[in-house]
Amino acid sequence: MPLIAAYHRPDSLDKALSLLADPSRTPLAGGTIINADREPSDLEVVDLQALGLDGIEPVDNRLRIGATATHRAIADSEHVPDALRELAKRDQPASLRSIATVGGTIASTDAESVLIAALLVHDALVELAGADHMSLATLLESGVPSGALITGVLIDPSGVTVSRSTGRTPADTPIVAAVARSTGDHITLALTGVAATPVIVPVGDPAGGLAPPGDFRGSATYRTHLASILSARVLGALR
Amino acid sequence: MSTEHTVTIELNGRTVTVASRPSENLRELLRRLGMMSVKFGSSSGETGAAAVLFDGRLASADLILAAQADGHAVTTVEALNTERELHPIQAAFTATGALQSGYSAGAMILGTLALLQQNSDPTEVEIRDMLSGILDRETAYVKPVEAVKRAAAVMRGEKTEPFAPLILEPMTDGTNSVEYDPQQRAPLAPPSVPRLIPSRDVPEMAVVGKPEVKVDAVKLAKGNPAFTDDYEMRDLLYAKLLRSPHAHANIVAIDDSAALALPGVHAVLHYGNSPRIKYASGGQSWPNPFPHDQVSFDNKVRHVGDRVAAVAAETVEIAEAAVALIDVTYEVLPAIFDEREAMLPGAPVIHDEADTEHIFDRERNIVHEIKAERGNVTAALAKADHVFEQTFRVHQVQPAPIEPHISVAWIDGDERMVIRTATQVPFHTRRMVAPLLGMEIKDVRIIKPRIGGGFGAKQEMLIEDIVALLAKATRRPVRLELTREEEFVSSRTRHPQTLTYRTAVDRDGNLVAQDLYVLGNTGPYGTHAYTVQTVTGLRGLSSYNALNKRFHCDVVYTNIPVPGAYRGYGAPQAEFALEAHMEDIARELGRDVIEFKRQNWVKVGSELDIAPHLGERAAEEEELDEYPKVGSSGIEECVAQAMREIEWHRRDDSSWVQPDDRPNIRRGIGFAFCMHGTAIPFLDMGGCSIKINDDGSFNMLVGATDLGTGADTVLGQIAAEVLGVQLDDIKVYSSDTDMTPFDTGAYASSTTFISGTAAFQAAKVVRDRVKERAAMLLDVAIPCTIELRDGRAYAPDGRSVSMADIALDSLHTQEQEQIMGTASHVSPDCPPPFAAQMAEVEVDIETGQVTVTKLVMAVDCGVAINPITASGQVEGGMLQALGYAHCEEYALDDEGRMLNASFGPYKIYRADEMPETTVFLVQTMEDSGPFGAKAVAEIPKDGVAPAVRNAILNATGVAINELPFTPERVWNAIHAV
Repeated sequence: MPLIAAYHRPDSLDKALSLLADPSRTPLAGGTIINADREPSDLEVVDLQALGLDGIEPVDNRLRIGATATHRAIADSEHVPDALRELAKRDQPASLRSIATVGGTIASTDAESVLIAALLVHDALVELAGADHMSLATLLESGVPSGALITGVLIDPSGVTVSRSTGRTPADTPIVAAVARSTGDHITLALTGVAATPVIVPVGDPAGGLAPPGDFRGSATYRTHLASILSARVLGALR
Repeated sequence: MSTEHTVTIELNGRTVTVASRPSENLRELLRRLGMMSVKFGSSSGETGAAAVLFDGRLASADLILAAQADGHAVTTVEALNTERELHPIQAAFTATGALQSGYSAGAMILGTLALLQQNSDPTEVEIRDMLSGILDRETAYVKPVEAVKRAAAVMRGEKTEPFAPLILEPMTDGTNSVEYDPQQRAPLAPPSVPRLIPSRDVPEMAVVGKPEVKVDAVKLAKGNPAFTDDYEMRDLLYAKLLRSPHAHANIVAIDDSAALALPGVHAVLHYGNSPRIKYASGGQSWPNPFPHDQVSFDNKVRHVGDRVAAVAAETVEIAEAAVALIDVTYEVLPAIFDEREAMLPGAPVIHDEADTEHIFDRERNIVHEIKAERGNVTAALAKADHVFEQTFRVHQVQPAPIEPHISVAWIDGDERMVIRTATQVPFHTRRMVAPLLGMEIKDVRIIKPRIGGGFGAKQEMLIEDIVALLAKATRRPVRLELTREEEFVSSRTRHPQTLTYRTAVDRDGNLVAQDLYVLGNTGPYGTHAYTVQTVTGLRGLSSYNALNKRFHCDVVYTNIPVPGAYRGYGAPQAEFALEAHMEDIARELGRDVIEFKRQNWVKVGSELDIAPHLGERAAEEEELDEYPKVGSSGIEECVAQAMREIEWHRRDDSSWVQPDDRPNIRRGIGFAFCMHGTAIPFLDMGGCSIKINDDGSFNMLVGATDLGTGADTVLGQIAAEVLGVQLDDIKVYSSDTDMTPFDTGAYASSTTFISGTAAFQAAKVVRDRVKERAAMLLDVAIPCTIELRDGRAYAPDGRSVSMADIALDSLHTQEQEQIMGTASHVSPDCPPPFAAQMAEVEVDIETGQVTVTKLVMAVDCGVAINPITASGQVEGGMLQALGYAHCEEYALDDEGRMLNASFGPYKIYRADEMPETTVFLVQTMEDSGPFGAKAVAEIPKDGVAPAVRNAILNATGVAINELPFTPERVWNAIHAV
């Protein structure tokens, strides 16, 4: 547990943004990342639970997932496409699924998150308070703007989405995963485990521009190989 | 800045308002409120040991700030404890043997409650998904899944049958093999149900052999205080350790002044203010094997995570802050991590201090050189028809009990040191810690409460000296609990080894010589180094008959995290190499692998001729007049049952191996022959004391250490059988050095065999006296004609008195006496259990990913005193062994820092990915064991890795001689062909 110096639970977005204007404060969504930090520190956290950001609802032809919607809520929601529900489940085991949130996961930019990869292929647009909305792909590159707060994510729920992955065991965090979505005339392909964040890659040459970081679970060469194989598999499944 | 918050939660239906620090998490708050079922497994929540229902959803309380919980409903398992009787879910968990240590029982039961509230008839997939957030190293999730199914059925109002083994007809005559019939199908039953194949040599008994519920099941299911951390102490101080950031360094100076100046800090210990007393930390019999190469605090560190200093303070946070204020000046030295480099010229000398004696070759980092030979191996190799040589590499893994090491020490009213601790070896710990404290053994008391798993990691005096030294320095109780990261970097691990076999075979397929060279890596300290490697030699050269055998081993120091004891203790390393080697020899010779192994494996009457020449009490003579022999073996029945269950013929069916509809998949089946030992002959010893109570019940005191294995239950069953009473009439208390007889502890597969025989003999003493007292009451001349059964003593003519009548008469009425008996047992025998291990795998040849789809183990453990707890041992052992084979590994960077010191990166199996496991218990009658019992705890660790390896070979044609079978390693191997 980190040393939390102060805890705030604002009941409005304005109050939250006001608190977060102080850069020493950190938004606290579920807590699976911040509260698991093993290094003692002097964190001041701003808990988002009272802001009403946990809804999952269709908006026009898109689906809005509130920032504090949990992985479990996504997995249980009938509005969410099946593949995305399954990948939300896959992202966390049962005892963490009710705590982890989509907003926290996006903010983490976790390179191995299959949920982020799934959101990417569903053309996710991240809603921000205190800054303009931006595509998830852009946010993963640039990070959450200073002083801004993720309030939700808008996705295009249409199409067919498939995923394939390779791990040490069936439920292992994938070494590399490929997630692809077809809307009939267009396919979007995203990979985990090949860059600093999940990335969208070109369908025609998925592994071409990759320079994956290697680790004990998979070298750069092996990850590049998996990127090719798994991409071919998801594309094959869609065709 | 840090201000307290008022937190109001609805706790188990009751509104509770408390003040809380901002840093306090929900687990800490709940435990502060007395909810001791909520356990610590890791601060990052992935063990699920602290899972509670948060607004009705399963959630790890580690990851929720107490302040976050304000306004929410929290349910712990204590909510179910409204009556003495168990809730149906708790009852299902106890009835099915789902609770071994029970450390995470609360989480599993709550997860079940939440699941069943949503879905009264969940599928197995849904049940396993619920359990995916609760890691378990003990059950392989087999019986917890069964428990959830039974609880669901009961709560739906359905009638359930008692959970019991499926009794199967033997397929063999008990001795000889039978021809495999591919048409035969194994009887259908859920995989959770253990299959029991009775032996005609074993008589029917009343309590022994029955699926009795564990004697500690109720308190575990209720989450009642039972573990080291569950008892509150007034004025408790908290300890934290400063650990080395360097793999190898001299400590030039330590400045503790800033730490000591921090308010709330009471003591800082380090080499500058602590006595330098040499010891070996392995929990082994006196005299502890050399070298004694550790001190409580040294002026040199030898691995990342090594002890540097310890702090005792008013809170954990203050202790952590004080640790950060200790200023250490290091002289960083070169380090080595690979055992193959440790002996090379120029390698840094890891133990250059003058006061460590008995290092075999200090300059080359060789701790021990071990040699043993039977016959003339060199000559046999020179003239053999075939010689096969292979080298194998096995890696470093962790026992990873979900309860980390934890100890609490205090000075009692008699100025004695009391240490309540999660240990497998309370008596060894007492003897070993006393001199480090400058105290006599008689002034130290060790209490072992329930333990949340040990698996060898706790066969060690790991932190007891620290809490006791701090308690002595502060004269206040001191508690130290390791974090999960500390558990990885500073606890104990399995020794990595490089093993080279050379085997000579004659033209008829008979082994004529086996030569095994082992290079063992004992890391920075020699704890268990000698004994583990001798077990590697013993196990590696005992399974197969050969007239000539030779074992040569070099054990070297390196700077990796410390290896030590881990369930299996040198055997899994040997068995992987041996069973892979034998598989490859059979293939080279064009022989059926089982036939080839059968031709050579030991049978009843075979001499175990290398055994007396290895170990702490190895024979000094080159030849002995007599060698121990195999007295019982059910291996043929094991093989027959396992082949039928796995459908062995499929491995030769190319359409099965290479399925048409999945072009990237290859399937395979692998086999391993397993043989283990039962206790250490002439060394392991256990004691037992039994006395009768007024109501005819008995108190049984045993030194044996139940780690969750069910040892207390099994020993109670043995006593109950002898005394003719129900198990519930035996009240077992174990492992308290002031209260119970001595026992060497829980290791070496010894408890049922050694401590069980002590219980058997103590019960016989009591039984004989009970019969004499009964004869007095019944006016029977010859007491031995009295029969004890059903809680009564029967005269030959059918008249009887109850055990209570006998107790009241003896305690209060005539010729008063306390009927009691004590006994202890040491054995000259080490009867081997045998097993057939099968594994079925799928290999993705494009990615190298191996998926293990089925494990079958058929075990001859003699008579299983309790088939439910015994099968639980096999299931849990296979889970750990599968991790060893497949996914668990220590990853160190170039500086010796562990890269994956948390669960997830260090991958252990979850409920939602375990393959199907099926267990067969093949009875044999082992005359040297209590009621025919042999060991069962460690043999499940031996065969999975080679069986998986051989299955991959069957699937792909690729032999991989290094563990674990991670995707990239397998992919590289496939594409190197």
